[in-house]
Amino acid sequence: MLRAGCQLLTQSTLPAVKTGSNGFALEFVRWRRKPRWLPVAKSKIFRVPERKKQTEEERTELMRLHNRYKTQLRSVRQYLREEVVRHEETSTVDHIVLTPEQEEAEYQALIAANAEWNATIAREREQRLAKERDEKVAYVHERLEARQLRDEERRERANEAVLREIERSKTYITREGLNAAIETALANPVDPNFAIDMAGNLYQGRTTSQLPEADPQPDQQALSN
Amino acid sequence: MAQKVIKYIGRTTDFKGNTLWELVSNLPNWGVGRMVIRNMFQRYPEPCYMRILKVQAVDEQTDQIRKVRVTVEKTWRGVTQPKPVEIYSTSYKADYELVPQAEEAKFLSNQKKVAPVVLPTKIDLPPLLREYVKEETGEANPFMKVHFKKTPNKLARMAEAGEEPTLKVSMDLGQPKSVSSKLYEGLL
Repeated sequence: MLRAGCQLLTQSTLPAVKTGSNGFALEFVRWRRKPRWLPVAKSKIFRVPERKKQTEEERTELMRLHNRYKTQLRSVRQYLREEVVRHEETSTVDHIVLTPEQEEAEYQALIAANAEWNATIAREREQRLAKERDEKVAYVHERLEARQLRDEERRERANEAVLREIERSKTYITREGLNAAIETALANPVDPNFAIDMAGNLYQGRTTSQLPEADPQPDQQALSN
Repeated sequence: MAQKVIKYIGRTTDFKGNTLWELVSNLPNWGVGRMVIRNMFQRYPEPCYMRILKVQAVDEQTDQIRKVRVTVEKTWRGVTQPKPVEIYSTSYKADYELVPQAEEAKFLSNQKKVAPVVLPTKIDLPPLLREYVKEETGEANPFMKVHFKKTPNKLARMAEAGEEPTLKVSMDLGQPKSVSSKLYEGLL
């Protein structure tokens, strides 16, 4: 409500009849007082509050009563505080008091229970570790076998390549057979050029004039397919 | 020209004097060794004064009266405090006055002391609490300890064993002092 009133103050479209000349003259109906965050009213700016004089007797008596009251109240508070501390130290309401033997027995029982838990967990852990060890060994074996297989395959492939090359080396042109190879090449010139007629027949050679005959030559191929 | 009449307006104050910075900033060596008084404390017949031991300037804050950190040896109602006291948070109060060196003797020769106040160690319990305690402990007339915290400014003390307290403390209004007994005329 007050916040809404505050927002209203910022609006400049308020009717002048309700608000007066400035925004701070807004009249609150629910709270009869000026909100604390509004500045001093214009009519009160120069008001000087009266300082009330205390007579000597009044001052002395009020001081005496004040001192007395403070001493009494602080004494009561101190008493209650000390009582709480005393109660906490001596009370056995919130905890059970045990003899040293009982405490020792309880301690030993707790130690035994703890040892039992430890043993159970150790057993489980050993089983788990053994299983993990077996799995690891099996995995390593598997990997080793795969490696062996892979190596063998590779060796076989290399072997095949070597054999293939040996086979091919039989047709190599050697230094001794060089002249013979040259002569053979000169004697058999190779002409890669060819021509194609409309029927798709292939005529090898550029200079060799071959007219088509009735029966097709064995080196003539149909290119249509 | 007519004589100028100063007319004060606004709130009145009980303070009289300057702030500590106004005094200290104008003095050679920052007034170390000089005597300063708070005018508010001159209401006591016993001497109240301070002697400056050390001055530390503090930067001025905007829109605030300038403060200063001054360590003093404080004499309060005729008793010089054993430890030096630092004045900072109250240094802005315009209530300090420098004592001219010629007038220091006036304070130093004032030998008045406060009448010793000895507090009782025991006080009655409040009525209802007393009934509870009686019921619980079976004690016929239970008491509680009087709360008293000793500070350098306090001149009273607790009664020792077998000592007669000078001040009666009980769980009632007590008797008014003779000065203010007029207030209770026809009532008590």
